[in-house]
Amino acid sequence: MGWFSWSSDSSKASDGGRIAPDRSSRERCWEGRDRFFACLDRNNILDAVKDDKEARRKCGKEIEGFEGACAKAWVKYFKEKRVMEYNRDKTIERIKKEDAERVADLKSQGRAT
Amino acid sequence: MASSLKSLPRLLPRATRTATPTIASSRTVPLSSILHSTPRIPQVQNKNALNSNTSRTFTSSTLRARAKTMGQLRARNSTGPFSWKAALLFVVTGAGMIVYFQVEKERLARKRVAEMSKGVGRPKVGGPFVLRDLEGREFTAEDLKGKYSFVYFGFTHCPDICPDELDKMAEIIDKVNEATGDPSLFLPVFITCDPVRDTPEVLREYLKEFHPKIVGLTGTYEQVKHVCKMYRVYFSTPRDVKPGEDYLVDHSIYFYLMDPENDFVECIGRQDTPESASKVILEHINDWKREGRPLTGGQQ
Repeated sequence: MGWFSWSSDSSKASDGGRIAPDRSSRERCWEGRDRFFACLDRNNILDAVKDDKEARRKCGKEIEGFEGACAKAWVKYFKEKRVMEYNRDKTIERIKKEDAERVADLKSQGRAT
Repeated sequence: MASSLKSLPRLLPRATRTATPTIASSRTVPLSSILHSTPRIPQVQNKNALNSNTSRTFTSSTLRARAKTMGQLRARNSTGPFSWKAALLFVVTGAGMIVYFQVEKERLARKRVAEMSKGVGRPKVGGPFVLRDLEGREFTAEDLKGKYSFVYFGFTHCPDICPDELDKMAEIIDKVNEATGDPSLFLPVFITCDPVRDTPEVLREYLKEFHPKIVGLTGTYEQVKHVCKMYRVYFSTPRDVKPGEDYLVDHSIYFYLMDPENDFVECIGRQDTPESASKVILEHINDWKREGRPLTGGQQ
């Protein structure tokens, strides 16, 4: 189970703290995440938490790699972040469009009067 | 003086051969009297004056000086009080003033930002706290004084934002220290929001990967909660975590720049690049230095 399996026992520091993933294991996790998300993009899946079954069916290999390389909390976090960022970008796009429409509207009004 | 005296006999015959036979013939005249009789006029001028056989009542120097003044007068009359020199002086002075006012305006704007947290009735960021450094020694807010400190809150199990921000912090540290030339003026601090998992040993291993100069701080749950409150950091660490349980901590993701009196100066956020952040920090450090306020540093 990759990082997560050794994290449960051998990642204890001698003073009782729990050692966090280092730079290389962070990078491994991010790579796994990017591969999984690329697969989701190909299959038009946005929310891997809600559409867990479909994601697992279509991107079985990728999700295995992702979950193997990252801690459980990280997997959940990245899946939720993907949805959040998608919605955020959508909102920004919408506001920009509305703004442009409003500007065009005001301009045409100004010309008419 | 000695050298000019020595060269005088060699010069004199050439200069005076045609006009002043008295001096030319009198090589036996004591040197002091020659010096006395011939005023120290530049050689070329002397030669010209003598060659043209002008009356000796007028010295050549006053003639030339007068001619120069006349020329200047004429030039002044032809162009009025404006000359290219005056114009240049005007433009240079004007440009200098503009630059100066611009710089002063920016400095005052920064000062206003810095003074904001010192006023009465302002929301205060930062304050007294007690934590532990990575050697297990007590570390309080007093230890931040005397230098600019750069405080960041995070936790080692942070998925992506903290590592990015700490990489940025490392770049900022290098840039600032390179510019000031004194690493003791700038103290980067990492305070964990997750003291249960982030013990000194864990923190040391973690921070080593980013920059050796970052001071890691941890403490008890209550101590960390208190310091987060002082810095207005949202603190959501679960109190009772079962061993082995995995969780994330929500926290604010700002760097806090604190001045040598440990008053909050400015926030550095996600939108700042290492370049823009170190520029802001250096400007504050330089303002502080220019105002001649104490900046002791090096008390670690």
